[in-house]
Amino acid sequence: MIAHDLKKKLGKLDEQSRRQFVARTAKTALGVSVVPVLGASPKVLAAGGGKAEHCIFFYMNGGMTHMDTFDPKPGTETGGSTAGISTGVAGVQMAEFMPELAKRFSDIALVRSMTQKTGDHRGGSYWMHTSYQPRATIIHPTMGPWAAKILGKKHETLPDSVVIGGGGNHPGSGFFGPSLSPLPIGDPDRGVQDGEIPEMVSEKQFDRRYKLINTFDEVFQREFKTNEVAAYNQFYDETLKLMSSEDLETFKLTNEPGYQAKLEKYGDSRIGKGAMLAKRLVSSGIRFIEVTAGGWDMHNDLWNAIPERAGSLDMALAALIDDLKAEGLFEKTLIVLGTEFGRTPKINANGGRDHHPRVFSTMFAGGGISGGQAYGKSDNLGMAVEEDPVDPRDFNATIAHALGMDLNKVVYSSSGRPFLVAGHKSDRETGKVITEGKPIAQLFS
Amino acid sequence: MLWCYAKDGGYSLKLHHHLHTFDSPFPMKYLTPLLRSALAIALLSLLTPSISQAQMREWTSSDGRKLQAEFVGTAGAGATASVKLKLENGNIINYPIAKLSEDDRIFVKSSLPNDTAALAAEIDKLVLARMKEAYYGLRKDLAELPQNSTLTNAEKAKRKEEIEREMVMCVPNEKTNDSQFMRRVYLDIAGRIPTFDEASKFLGSTSRSKRAELIDELLETDAYAMRMFNYMSDLLRVRDGVAMEGNGLKAISYMEWMKDSLRADKPFDKLVTEMLTAEGTLWDNPASGYLVTDQGMRLCNLSNTFTVFLGTEITCAQCHDHPFEQVKQLDFYRMASFMGEYETRTRLDFNPRAEAQRMSGILERAGKLRPNTTFDIGLSIMLNSNRTNVNDTGNQTVELPHDYKYDNGEPHQQVRPGAYFGDTVNIEKHATPRVAFADWITSPTNPRFTVNLVNRMWKIAFGLGQIEPVDNIPGHLDGQAQNYALLQFLEQMMIDQKYSLKDFFRVIYNTETYQRKAESLSPTLTQIDNGAYHFPGPILRRMSAEQVWDSMVTLTTAHPERMQRRGAEAYKELMNMDYTTMTTAEQIEEFKMKHRTIGQVSDGEGGMMGSGGMGMMGRNNMVGRVGGQQMVRASELDVPMPANHFLRIFGQSDKILIENATTVGSTPQVMTLLNGSITNAALTSKDAYLIKEIAYGEGKKGDKIEKIFLSVLGRMPYPAEKRAAASGLRARNDRDIQRSDAEAEVAAIGDVIWALVNTREFLFVQ
Repeated sequence: MIAHDLKKKLGKLDEQSRRQFVARTAKTALGVSVVPVLGASPKVLAAGGGKAEHCIFFYMNGGMTHMDTFDPKPGTETGGSTAGISTGVAGVQMAEFMPELAKRFSDIALVRSMTQKTGDHRGGSYWMHTSYQPRATIIHPTMGPWAAKILGKKHETLPDSVVIGGGGNHPGSGFFGPSLSPLPIGDPDRGVQDGEIPEMVSEKQFDRRYKLINTFDEVFQREFKTNEVAAYNQFYDETLKLMSSEDLETFKLTNEPGYQAKLEKYGDSRIGKGAMLAKRLVSSGIRFIEVTAGGWDMHNDLWNAIPERAGSLDMALAALIDDLKAEGLFEKTLIVLGTEFGRTPKINANGGRDHHPRVFSTMFAGGGISGGQAYGKSDNLGMAVEEDPVDPRDFNATIAHALGMDLNKVVYSSSGRPFLVAGHKSDRETGKVITEGKPIAQLFS
Repeated sequence: MLWCYAKDGGYSLKLHHHLHTFDSPFPMKYLTPLLRSALAIALLSLLTPSISQAQMREWTSSDGRKLQAEFVGTAGAGATASVKLKLENGNIINYPIAKLSEDDRIFVKSSLPNDTAALAAEIDKLVLARMKEAYYGLRKDLAELPQNSTLTNAEKAKRKEEIEREMVMCVPNEKTNDSQFMRRVYLDIAGRIPTFDEASKFLGSTSRSKRAELIDELLETDAYAMRMFNYMSDLLRVRDGVAMEGNGLKAISYMEWMKDSLRADKPFDKLVTEMLTAEGTLWDNPASGYLVTDQGMRLCNLSNTFTVFLGTEITCAQCHDHPFEQVKQLDFYRMASFMGEYETRTRLDFNPRAEAQRMSGILERAGKLRPNTTFDIGLSIMLNSNRTNVNDTGNQTVELPHDYKYDNGEPHQQVRPGAYFGDTVNIEKHATPRVAFADWITSPTNPRFTVNLVNRMWKIAFGLGQIEPVDNIPGHLDGQAQNYALLQFLEQMMIDQKYSLKDFFRVIYNTETYQRKAESLSPTLTQIDNGAYHFPGPILRRMSAEQVWDSMVTLTTAHPERMQRRGAEAYKELMNMDYTTMTTAEQIEEFKMKHRTIGQVSDGEGGMMGSGGMGMMGRNNMVGRVGGQQMVRASELDVPMPANHFLRIFGQSDKILIENATTVGSTPQVMTLLNGSITNAALTSKDAYLIKEIAYGEGKKGDKIEKIFLSVLGRMPYPAEKRAAASGLRARNDRDIQRSDAEAEVAAIGDVIWALVNTREFLFVQ
């Protein structure tokens, strides 16, 4: 009986919250109002969180080997030919392929006890990005849109979040809808592709053409009022708004002062350029930038690929840390590195490593993170978590905490289901929906 | 009763047309030509003495009961047909053939209509029956709502809204007009909009069966194979490089085999069997591409096979018993061990590295290596790819995982191959466990193979499966499928058609259900989840990335399929050559060049190159280039295209994950359409095909606007549209730039084209 009443109560709450949500998205989409910046709560600030105003999230697609990057096991039967190098902290080594980060270890916190349950790329990547397992009936939002939802939009005309080099399967803003979608940048070199009216078309001609669209589309629009059509209408409005703002300059990488010299530091690689563009976007006030880099699914000939792959990552991250420090943005910017899983300690017949979700590594830096530490431990062979397991929900809770988000803020989907930024469960005592993921407190002390 | 509701809801117009379909089952005047022809055929079969009629015969039902009766004829078609039997007392009864014994079924089979129209009519009947049932169910819910004491008034109001919305979607939509039908069926079968000539031909035809004729015609085109290739490439992750890491392999053989198979309508069960049992190299046996795709990921390959061919998600059982379905971890490994004896890199009769070293030496001596290098890595990769070969080794490599925790097995234990549902498999009866597995999967008695296939093909036509999501068909279909009777019918039809996709599509596209207008409301997720969308018409879909692209291509040429990518034969020759015969730098250079350029687009007239230089441009040759873009159909370009290409921006799959294509909108898509080179150069510059051929080609000058509308939207302009377009043509003096009248007119026509491809009407399939 009590359970039934509670459910009814929750049901009512859902409805109210849902309507607020609808009203709010409608307003932002029409440009009537901008959601106010709410900022971090005092409680979050007291726990060392909320120092980060921006986040640059490096996502290593394919499952980054922990054994040959952040958690090497040199000299063991599973270590392969990867050697370790000193970080300056006793007992903590990084793989030989990451010398620059090893030098900057005092700014970096490693998490070596990540663990999750699924060995498929899509499921794993989805969980890391959203704190939820994929479902057929809903798409969960990723961290950038979550930050915009909980903390409010950070910028009037620029998008709140950007994904550089992401694939077609990025969950984006999920059920939050298109108004909070991250802006995708396919190639950091090209910035916002086709962001301007082409040279051969005058503005006047553009306006004349644009008016024709509406005339020609009238009959169709009157008949078909589906959500998908409405979404496209909204994208046309927003694109026009973005095109008429001056913000697109920000996305031009070559406009970065001292571009050539910087390129040498970041590395002339996709990830290097992605990192530099991310820094540029942080400088112009964008909150959440994801830089995706592929090529980590090393089933074959791992040691052929790793020097280049890990090397370019090492250069990019090190240069980013230096650059942010030089601009005084390091303490305000959280750098995170994640991946869907690690790779099997056992080396397979093709000289590669296979999928290994049981234990893997991630990295944090800046934005209030205490560097010079490795949190959690894998066992001697890199097979399983030995101490302090961290799952994707805890990982996202840590990001959310650093950015000052309220982990217990409930957001309802249009069908009235409750969702939280770092996953949810119901509190045994109160029955309330609370966060499942917990931030790693040690990283903030 | 219906009228009261209709007036309340304000949907009387929509209801008016269909009211009687429900109230009386067969009022002749409401039957469409299609249904009428079906009836005529049924009547005809009554008159045709195909089987010795008027003869008493003993009939046996499937449960063994017997009956003496004369065979009079049949009614309906396919799995739901019935026989008309005249009893001894002179009464005629209808008896469902599904309830007859097998012998009797065979006896009447030749009398059953199996023509497209009859089968299509049966499908329509089943759709309408379910829709009607749902409609009355909802009407009852609505009537009972006021008495519901557990809901507040606000909740009741909300529920009322939902029910009413669903009721509207439980009434069949009007029939499409010829333009709407034409554009949709072109996009669905040929994967693109019709060209101006094609549109004029169809719309101008006075044939009464022109829709059926068009369907037949389109199914036999290259365009159909290209469109279905795009689908299969998304489903099976067919991509350049084939294997995840590339390994220097060329996908051309696998792609060509796939397109040829689709064009020739190879039965789908055969197609799947060929892929699962393929032996040999990619170039000698291209079907092996399916297993090479997941090289080094045997267990993932099994999960993928289940997803794509059985609509079953078993990935979780790789690590633990499935929490919801009846799949144990042991089941997964028993399944996997069917596929545990093949390897993909078994060609060990030559040493590619030694060979690459030898050839590098020759190149070095001839001064053809890059400075300061002694080894040609590119060459090494080309040669190394030659080791890829799928073969059964006879060694079982699948064992239970090291952390296996259930009582029914031990870690590292090998398990015998076995199926956890469907027929029991006796592997001894088959050449290899793989053959046994393929046989089990593709058997008509496999409870999921055919259902998965018809559900996916239905989705191609209607935008939504009978069961959603299509990759997670529940074990207990009855109650889960939105229309179980229809699904069973389709399943039997596919089996009867011997897995011919063309025959299946032919029936589906000839149904009235398909030929109705697209639904103007979006079904909600809950509705889809509950199987509560009953197909009043297809749903309104955004075109797939390939459909948008291929439609753009169509606007730049009279022959969109002329440019094709070919090269399987050349690849075969190249890979099977004796490398030791290459002893000069020239031979080696030639080999490298050939290897690099294999699989390029050709113009269909023997030429590989357009105006570009010979061979040095890799795959990016000049064929089909318009305004800086290679305007060639998506299936003939790289698969997938790079992340910044039009196709990827519009959601082409990265081909890494199954069905990873998307039709969700984005700002970059809009930017591409507003500012990109396709809409601003390829379609609208003064040299653009549409401007040159359509606007200034044959025909009267006054028809320009109509021609453009017909080319882009497949319909004539409405008066208001014509006025708006014409006013642009009259305003000759654009004040920003001084131009001649002719230039101004080109610009104005360009504006019309630009605006039309920027409409939602263009982007969506209605």
